[in-house]
Amino acid sequence: MAAVAGAGKTTREINAEIKRLIAQGATDVCVADPDAQHNLGVALLDPVQVTFDGSVGYYCAGMIDGPTVQINGSAGWGLAESMLTGTVIVRGSAGNGAAATIRGGTVVIHGDAAARAGVSMKGGVILIAGNCGYMAGFMAQKGTLIVCGDAGAAFCDSMYECVGFVGGNITDLGNDAVIEEPTAADRAFLEATLSRHLGSDRPDLLSCLPRFKKVVAGRRLWNFDKREWATWREAL
Amino acid sequence: MCGIVGFLDKTDSAAPIGRVVLTMLNALDRRGPDSAGVALYPGAHDGALAEDSIVLRIKLGEHGDLADRTEHVVERVRQLGTVRAATTTAEYLRLELVYAGEPQRLEREIEAVADGIEVVSMGRALEIVKQVGSPQNLDATYGVSALTGTHGIGHTRLSTESRVDLSHSQPFWAHGSPDVAVVHNGHITNYHTLRRRYEQRGVKFYTDNDSEVIGVYLAERLSQGMELEEALTASVADLDGSFSYLAATADAIGFAKDRYAFKPLLVTETERFVAVATEELALHSAFRGECDVREAQAEEVRAWQR
Repeated sequence: MAAVAGAGKTTREINAEIKRLIAQGATDVCVADPDAQHNLGVALLDPVQVTFDGSVGYYCAGMIDGPTVQINGSAGWGLAESMLTGTVIVRGSAGNGAAATIRGGTVVIHGDAAARAGVSMKGGVILIAGNCGYMAGFMAQKGTLIVCGDAGAAFCDSMYECVGFVGGNITDLGNDAVIEEPTAADRAFLEATLSRHLGSDRPDLLSCLPRFKKVVAGRRLWNFDKREWATWREAL
Repeated sequence: MCGIVGFLDKTDSAAPIGRVVLTMLNALDRRGPDSAGVALYPGAHDGALAEDSIVLRIKLGEHGDLADRTEHVVERVRQLGTVRAATTTAEYLRLELVYAGEPQRLEREIEAVADGIEVVSMGRALEIVKQVGSPQNLDATYGVSALTGTHGIGHTRLSTESRVDLSHSQPFWAHGSPDVAVVHNGHITNYHTLRRRYEQRGVKFYTDNDSEVIGVYLAERLSQGMELEEALTASVADLDGSFSYLAATADAIGFAKDRYAFKPLLVTETERFVAVATEELALHSAFRGECDVREAQAEEVRAWQR
């Protein structure tokens, strides 16, 4: 494993060191003492493992395509924003706007997520072991948002084809969000996803699977012209 | 952007509140280079201040003969109480005095000495120091990091809508209400409406900074008998806009966050202390390795009593 000593370094220096090591062939990089600095590990475009051994600040792992980024601490606002593919794992909690606008990949948050997790996500999977805050999944267009704990107010407001699952209580549903019965395929997907990403740390969650509620768009706000259907599907 | 921080020590010892608050504030200095300030509570620790005394921090003005103004203020205060100590640092006069009257009267009498004089803080425990520039300047001028006590809050400001000077800097003392101070990150969008209502009742505003109204609001609520947490909870409904703010009294600290969670606020709590800051960066700089941090939720209110 290649090591980067983060203490005393600026964000720019740490990111440059990570990219230099990857360019030299490193496939596993660990950054010690990230000290909650902002913009760490952004725009990583290779299928490598990068570990931040401590908390990170805003926009960590933003715009990545391919890597697995693990954060052994908490993450600030805008975690993994606009990621294309890859996996981001946060051992602690995440701030506002976690995994907003992701196009794909998987974001796993072992603690809680603050407000607006998964806002406008366009694909991928967000798995929150704890609770999520206000307006999670707002205008989410595609993908899956799983909250094992409680969901805050306005959950999945004005959503398109994203699907939400909540293991705990929902403070209130957002506009046009409705609860429907999970299918057998949904339950199988949930079991596989929780087993894969949280099974060893939170085996208790698997026993809660029957409690999960499924939230989808009621489609009452969908008023685009059907003639654009093919274009719209293509865009997603 | 602005940066706010708060710290409350839960132990019975005199904590290094100056150093802790300043360390957190320095970590946030790029969020607001215009001005910085701290509201510290050294006097809340047993024995830090004589039982019958209060402390005032008075802005003497930013121009003119400050020695002359000091003399006039001290002379005026001597007619109202017993001055135990008077020291001048930069544009501030710090007074320790025995005074049993109405705080509002003392404030009025002092500020009537000359234009530009302003009581920046008053209380049994509270001392506010703030100035234009970055947090580093505070320590160089006022030796803030040497202060010990029980709790404190701090602010570093990026001005977006009002003047950059000492008075418009934060923290704001809730004028007339001893020991109550606030720091705020965000915008209070019903500020003008609230201000007009308070002015109709005779409340004096010292700045055009929307954050000032939070102190006025809390002072009113506390004077009605509310506890700090109750007042903070009420404010979430009564204040519009985007805000995360911290408030402190002689023996408590608390925060409130707006209903849409527009502004960040991170919280960490251990058996020994509570710390709150706009960014986790600040918490790490002060408590490396001791933090289990979470972000406050929309409409969340918390208060901790010593």
